[in-house]
Amino acid sequence: MTIAQAAANRTVDLVRERVGAMLVAATQPHADTLRLQVDKRVVRAAAGVLADELGARFMITTGIDRRELGGGFGIVHLFSLDREHVFVLLDCAVAANDEHIDSITPVVPGANWAEREFRDSVGVHPDGHPDPRRLLLADDWPDGVWPLRRDVPYNLQPPPAEGMQPPLREPPAGASVVTMGPFFPVLEEPSQWRLFVEGETIVGCDYRGFYNHRGIEKLGDSVLTYNEIPYLAERICGICGFIHSTCYCQAVEKAAGIEVPRRARYIRTLMLELERIHSHLLWLGIAGHIVGFDTVLMQTWRIREPVMWLSEEISGNRKTYGMNTIGGLRRDISPELGRKVLDVLEEVERESLAVRDAIVGDGTLMARTKDVGVLTNQTARSVCVVGPPARASGVPIDARVDHPYAAYDEVPVRIAVHQEGDTWARVLVRVEELLESIRLVREALAAMPEGPVLTEVKEEIPPGRVGVSVVEAPRGEAVHMVETGGDNRPYRWRVRAPTYPNLQAMPTMVANNTIADVPIALGSLDPCFSCTERVEAVDVTTRRVTVYTRQDLLRISRSAAVTP
Amino acid sequence: MLLAKLREAWICLKAGRVTLPYPFAPHDPAEGFRGKITLDPDLCFGCGGCANVCPAGVIVVNDTGQHTRLLEFFWRRCTYCGRCEEVCPEGAITLSQQFETATDKPEDMYMRLEVFMGPCQRCGRCFTPPTPLERMMLTGFRNGNGGRA
Amino acid sequence: MNTGLLWTVGLAVLSVALALLLAPLYEGLMRKLKAAIHSRIGPPITQPYLDLFKLLGKEDLRTAGGLLYTAAPALSLGSVLLLALLVPMGARPPFAFAGDIVVLLYVSAISAVLLMLTAFGSGSPYASVGSSREMMMLLSVEPVMVVALVVGALKAGTLATGDIIAWQLEHGPTISMAIAGIAFFLALQAQAGKLPFDIPEADQEIMGGPLIEQSGPRLALFRWAAWSKQFVLAVLLVEVFLPWPGTGVFALDLVLTLVKAFVVLVVVALVDVVNPRLRIDQAMQYYLRVAFSSIAALAFAVIGM
Repeated sequence: MTIAQAAANRTVDLVRERVGAMLVAATQPHADTLRLQVDKRVVRAAAGVLADELGARFMITTGIDRRELGGGFGIVHLFSLDREHVFVLLDCAVAANDEHIDSITPVVPGANWAEREFRDSVGVHPDGHPDPRRLLLADDWPDGVWPLRRDVPYNLQPPPAEGMQPPLREPPAGASVVTMGPFFPVLEEPSQWRLFVEGETIVGCDYRGFYNHRGIEKLGDSVLTYNEIPYLAERICGICGFIHSTCYCQAVEKAAGIEVPRRARYIRTLMLELERIHSHLLWLGIAGHIVGFDTVLMQTWRIREPVMWLSEEISGNRKTYGMNTIGGLRRDISPELGRKVLDVLEEVERESLAVRDAIVGDGTLMARTKDVGVLTNQTARSVCVVGPPARASGVPIDARVDHPYAAYDEVPVRIAVHQEGDTWARVLVRVEELLESIRLVREALAAMPEGPVLTEVKEEIPPGRVGVSVVEAPRGEAVHMVETGGDNRPYRWRVRAPTYPNLQAMPTMVANNTIADVPIALGSLDPCFSCTERVEAVDVTTRRVTVYTRQDLLRISRSAAVTP
Repeated sequence: MLLAKLREAWICLKAGRVTLPYPFAPHDPAEGFRGKITLDPDLCFGCGGCANVCPAGVIVVNDTGQHTRLLEFFWRRCTYCGRCEEVCPEGAITLSQQFETATDKPEDMYMRLEVFMGPCQRCGRCFTPPTPLERMMLTGFRNGNGGRA
Repeated sequence: MNTGLLWTVGLAVLSVALALLLAPLYEGLMRKLKAAIHSRIGPPITQPYLDLFKLLGKEDLRTAGGLLYTAAPALSLGSVLLLALLVPMGARPPFAFAGDIVVLLYVSAISAVLLMLTAFGSGSPYASVGSSREMMMLLSVEPVMVVALVVGALKAGTLATGDIIAWQLEHGPTISMAIAGIAFFLALQAQAGKLPFDIPEADQEIMGGPLIEQSGPRLALFRWAAWSKQFVLAVLLVEVFLPWPGTGVFALDLVLTLVKAFVVLVVVALVDVVNPRLRIDQAMQYYLRVAFSSIAALAFAVIGM
């Protein structure tokens, strides 16, 4: 019996022991996926069993509108048993006339945003949630219109509503407010951080994000078909596009039982690692820029540029590769191109090592990053942080090792782990991963098998199947969950990008740091807001038109600018 | 620490200036680059396969009469994925190497092609999509704007 | 008498002209050097002139009223030009008198104070944060400058800048003056607003700091004042701490001073380009250490070295 199977059995037994008959059904759609259907009344207990007794890591929650299938709403909490390579789906049915379910956030702090999100998307209220404010719907989106319900059209533009913006918390007594955002030089995408400061020291913060909603999940289950979604998925993020398209394709391939040829898996591995290389070099530059060290920015991006040209040669574009499709890849890699990859990477490795050796001895850089933005091991585990921030705090999780995909079962990865949990540790983790990725590309090229790169899909993809896939993006673990539908498109496509849990760790990371440290602390998470914020129905267009005179604007800016 | 700074300075100086002369000199993309779409109207026989597979809804097909098929191309939606090129049986629609596609004339973003379909009117669709996935189009040819803004 | 007055007036005009017209060129050269280290081409060296020209032609938008707020940019530039009149450039300063080094130190602080007042008055929270940082930098850096110049005054036994230079030329380099010179250079790095000490203007952290609400002609004047100040202080450094060789021929001395000042600013730019920005508390600790080290220079001066 495999480790995964033993763990699955153990999980079912333990949950049944705790909740008895409330465990309605336990099925195993795939060798690594366990689905526990529980009565919604015991969801908190079941989540507690998984998180506390079995040590499962919470990943994401999906709200599904199953009313047209006769099943009310489905709230599916996804957990991962990392060491045992098992996904656990905690599936609860919520009746259509009683749209409430107990919140699991008191037991699993990492579920905070996920529950607010399913409330905003399908309208099921998490009872007992400590912070039930609006998360992702726009400030003028009316109440009671839940975009991811199947009866809401994807291009609905409701009239703007007043007073729906979530109230931001007030500062504690004696502290003043410094607002970072929504537009701020350090942030590539809009988000609002409300920092409560005493002098220059941060004593708390609040966050309002999701300004970048684009309605991707809704498009996936209403307008686009299975093979068109990879092109949308790859535009979820401008840096890790291939990760998302691969993750989606893997989820569908798993759900439908489509076997991808070995060569395609190797090429996917190669492209994923190339993406990690360019992303980490990009991040090094951004981190340098945030602390004012523009030379690091210029030089690391110079080193990175040949990787972009290489991507253009391989896929036809510097970013949006357009290579993934259900069943494999659309393009192959010729032997000459393989040799070119090795040449380019040799140069990149040489330069990266030179940069690493130079910055490791740089006292001023370390002064800005050591002991800054500390994320303790305990917080990292309870908030379910993923990726380099987790690994820099001593949590050794990596999707390539925990749930091997593509060719990682044949090309094993050595993950980089540090214990200090500060920004410097995150720098070191990413530099080590960069060098490891170069090694992995070489291995993948050396071991690449011959053969086709695409499996022809000869049969219809049956509806009602579920597939969960994870891919280790440069920022952490990305999760895609697909429930197949009957009309050549998913019934529900759920995307969770790595920055989603990581952002929730920000308040603890910036506490007791100074304002000057907030940008680099945020930057060290390598946040990708575009990845994080993709669930909603439609383009948000405010049709309000107000004409401000110049005097009005001056008056408003002067009066609003006075700090308490 | 001074050594670290000197090392950093050395890396920079060794690299020299790397700014490309573009746009004052041409810079051709790699072979296989997915650039602007070119359409050869003489080769197109109106199968509509491209319309079937385009994820962005660039191509919209309308049959305006018994013998004529109208293909409308809304180029501003194109994401250069290349599925139309893959699927076209005649090679009428291809991706070029052009990447300088900015224009200030909205007319450049729209094209219409009327194809005389010939006498066979029973099956105007003479092209079979390659995989069952492609066959299972729910809405078939998308009318009007394809429901998109 | 007439030639003396003519000489003074001519020298004054020349000093002001150099501080105004040459300073943007030096800034442009520094930017070009930074670009070279960044492996890019960078702006043309006349870019600062173009920036000033463009900004001066824009609308004068003010976010607050009051006479001081309105006049602050012009006053700031004016104070720097006054500083130029107190600083020797190839000869005795035009406004030389006994004790002028004290006045020089006071005047050098005026532009920073005006910047702070403007920032507080403009009403933006970012400007306020930048302003308080500027204040902390000023409090850290001014003592270092004072001690460095006092070492010179102690050795020469006079408070007139011109006399200190004359003493230096006569006696050659000394340990105490060398230490004081290095301390003054470190203070210059902050006064020039260059990394690792450009903390008040940290745009990645506080969106531009004190100057965030300034635009158009006001911004032009503030920037011009900043560039002129870095130029004038560099000239002061080379005149007081590196006056050799003093040929006695005015034109030659002036050219030598300008060349040496350029070299100093090149070093400033190099330090700027290989450093990230320090936090304000780290910068203050750093300057405290520098101040203590420069006290060592005082000790050396007292014992005659």
